[in-house]
Amino acid sequence: MLSLIIALFSGAVGGLVVAMIPETKNRLRNYIVLFFAASSTFFTWRTAFMVFAGESVRVAGELGGLAFSLDPDPLGAVFGLIASTLWPFTAVYSFGYMAGKHKQRTFFTFFLMSLTMTLGVAFSGNLIALYLFYELLTFATYPLVIHERSAEAMKAGAKYILYSLSGAGAILIAIVLTYAWSGKLDFSGGPILANSLSPGLNWLLVLFVGGFGVKAAIMPLHRWLPAAMVAPTPVSALLHAVAVVYSGVYGVLRTVYSVFGHELIGQLGIRNILPWIAVITILAGIVIAARQDVLKRRLAYQTVSHLSYILLGAFILNEWGLAGAIFHMISYSTLKIALFFCAGIISEKTGEIKVSKMGGIGRSLPKTMVAFSIATMGMIGMLPLNTFWGKYYLMKGSVGAGKWPLAVVLIISGILNAICFVPVIINAFKGECTKTNGEKGGGVSLMLAPTLVLVIVALLIGLMPGIVWPGVEAVVNWFY
Amino acid sequence: MISAITTNLPVFIIIAPLFVAFVLPTWAQRKRLVENLVISVEILMLLGTCYLASIVLLQKGIPIIYQMGGWSAPWGIELKVGSLGTFFLLTVAIVSLPVALFARGNLTHEVGGKERVARFYVLYLLLIGALGGMALTNDLFNVYVLVEVATLSCCGLVSARNHPRAAKATFTYLILATLGSCLVMGGIGFIYIVTGHLNMGFASQELGRIWQNNPRVVWMAFSFMLVGFGVKSALFPLHVWLPDAHSVAPSPASAILSGLAVKGYLICLLKVLYNVFGFYLMRVYSVHKIMVLVGMVAIISGSISALTQEDLKRRLAFSTVAQVGYIFLGFGLLNTKGLTGTLFYLASHAVIKSTLFLSAGAMLNATGKKNIKDLSGIGRKMPITTAAFTISSLGLIGIPLFSGFVGKWQLLMGSMETGSILPVSVIISGSVLCAAYLFPVIRIAYFGTAPEKDCKDPNLPQKLALIFLSAAIVFLGVIPGSFLELANRAAAELLVLR
Repeated sequence: MLSLIIALFSGAVGGLVVAMIPETKNRLRNYIVLFFAASSTFFTWRTAFMVFAGESVRVAGELGGLAFSLDPDPLGAVFGLIASTLWPFTAVYSFGYMAGKHKQRTFFTFFLMSLTMTLGVAFSGNLIALYLFYELLTFATYPLVIHERSAEAMKAGAKYILYSLSGAGAILIAIVLTYAWSGKLDFSGGPILANSLSPGLNWLLVLFVGGFGVKAAIMPLHRWLPAAMVAPTPVSALLHAVAVVYSGVYGVLRTVYSVFGHELIGQLGIRNILPWIAVITILAGIVIAARQDVLKRRLAYQTVSHLSYILLGAFILNEWGLAGAIFHMISYSTLKIALFFCAGIISEKTGEIKVSKMGGIGRSLPKTMVAFSIATMGMIGMLPLNTFWGKYYLMKGSVGAGKWPLAVVLIISGILNAICFVPVIINAFKGECTKTNGEKGGGVSLMLAPTLVLVIVALLIGLMPGIVWPGVEAVVNWFY
Repeated sequence: MISAITTNLPVFIIIAPLFVAFVLPTWAQRKRLVENLVISVEILMLLGTCYLASIVLLQKGIPIIYQMGGWSAPWGIELKVGSLGTFFLLTVAIVSLPVALFARGNLTHEVGGKERVARFYVLYLLLIGALGGMALTNDLFNVYVLVEVATLSCCGLVSARNHPRAAKATFTYLILATLGSCLVMGGIGFIYIVTGHLNMGFASQELGRIWQNNPRVVWMAFSFMLVGFGVKSALFPLHVWLPDAHSVAPSPASAILSGLAVKGYLICLLKVLYNVFGFYLMRVYSVHKIMVLVGMVAIISGSISALTQEDLKRRLAFSTVAQVGYIFLGFGLLNTKGLTGTLFYLASHAVIKSTLFLSAGAMLNATGKKNIKDLSGIGRKMPITTAAFTISSLGLIGIPLFSGFVGKWQLLMGSMETGSILPVSVIISGSVLCAAYLFPVIRIAYFGTAPEKDCKDPNLPQKLALIFLSAAIVFLGVIPGSFLELANRAAAELLVLR
């Protein structure tokens, strides 16, 4: 219980400490950020192990006359692990990336604050807690989105707030309906709506999925995500490829498995439509990605597409679908962060943000582009990488549910991913090297090290999927 | 001696501000003394109210009936210190104390010399006295008298600033408010014609017996009351006076007008509707449906009008129009949860809106401008003021942890019981719109480029007032405890079948 509290509040406390350090003390600030991020990671691991061991780590209280509880189950623990583990990596990368940039204090304050909000979403034990942290996450990440303070950034920020708050509004309506129909909000003790058969359940599910779908970037609610790419690259990497968007995905998983329960959804008419919503986003996302010239925007649309892999896993409604979703959540996050990290290094070192101008950069940035290539193989779903397994389980789930076209869609999507990114790699290693400044200097090694480590981790998981399997298994056993 | 005070406490609480208001001009030249007197009256009022509230809570809902001059009803005038009365009295006391504190630090700047400041305080105390009376009175004619006292002092407060726009706004307000008073008076007249009583309890009993003999007269009484109090509390199509009046007044006055005065009329309406007509008659005449409908229209149109305003105080004033819509909607829900939520929302909006107006006033005074875009980067220069503004905005939007959410949640639960999802969606769309009109202010204040002019947080009393109010918002949002309990009990009492 104590480790849960420390894990959760490390970020917020760290953020306050950082806010008090003068703008110029960069070194000191970096150490403090790293300390609080690492402490949060450490205690999240402890909490997660307690959860996997079956212990109850529950903190409950009353907030404004309403029950409020933090009670991570395996699903929450897995999401918490993903987010908190990637935070220190991104912190180190940010030290290199942000060096010499403006408003570092504001950046790192809200960077740490967002950690608390993300973990709050992960650990929430009832809908009120989930809603609270989900809402606060929007506000905590807003200053990161508008960090550049340019007109474009402000516009992206306004879009982000508008989309997120409207989504949160839909969620609140859904929560009120849920409470009115069932009288409970806690996730523990089986799905909330397990025994209710109200005619409006289809619409309630639409409200929930629509609300969380904003952050999960289901098309056509995804527009804020590519716009938010004006943020500094570490933010795009951690928040807009993992933490924020996963909180939306996590919300959908919660809705499916803790609010409705897969058995109840199996009886609803909408069950046949849901997977196809995900399919549309998977295919449309990657097709639009292929047409983008700015690398970060291309990656953003790829995120849109891959998030729906996870949603597809949730909507297949069987064990393998869920296993695939969780596995993809874990493996996709490591590689996508690495991809964004590479994009950041490229833009910092060569000043290129457009794919069409990246010919020959593989010569000047060899390690970066090797990491980029490996991560791209992962996005396609090739074997030595961890994403293969997630995709394999998803296909197994689709076929098991009697929906083999979904498996075909996943294969097509893999091919499209290849069409989208392989030319970039070939182009990068082809042609003459025009820029000579390579991967030298302290800043670059701070950015390169986390990138390479993450790619190696992804390879390790790909070769030995057994090391993350216990977590996936715990989630599946929890709900089935 | 002590027992004489405690037994007569209900009337003391109302008389004290009125009495001090009358003697205040005597010392008009001694500014410090005037201010200290006002603050001490406010503190005494708060203490007395807390005492009454604890007694009412301990008595488990049995109200204290105070008979003026020892004359028993129906001949004498009654003060009823029940859950509803203490609840609103507590709201008045909690809000008016920090506002007075704020005024202490800022009035000379906004209002002018000593004479004018003293005049301001006279009106302020009259208004507080009238609001306290509205909370406790159990007599229809008293309602009218107090409404008039409150209206005239509000007009005075609006015109406190020496400005041509103030005179114009006051005049509009005066005409419309008088119209409202006439309608209220007419409504009271109709009730008196049918029942022969002015005491709410007796009138209600009589009305329950004989309303079928004069259904049209009762209908007239209903509509006169609704429209009359609707004008006074700025219900949507009748709100035209509010944006000018509330934006032109000095900021402590805007705070008290938007935060409390409007709520006083709403509490009067609530008493007339539930304690005189009773919810049975409301249902017979479908008044509740009209209220829900009008409330929804007010929420949406008020919020959209707020979005279009560039002037910060006008934006806040239009937001009040929207929030009055929530309260009207809640009054029409006719169930305990809905009414509990509405009462709590009313109190929390009183606190939140005064904080918003005070902090906005402090920012605008510091910059000397009035538009939102002129507040660029002020968050770094005035951290406490901007923090207070942010906390109250989050409260108004209805984020958990802040008082607005507690009321809104109960209100949502109550709306669910009507069986339609429309009120629920309107309430939540209202929240989203509220975020849309308040968030840009916060964004500009914190993330805009810093101003060249050197602005600082206001002086100590003003800072204390802002901190007190922000703390109240968070406190009510996290541990509403006995305050919510009081609202709940008040709601249950309003819905007792007579």
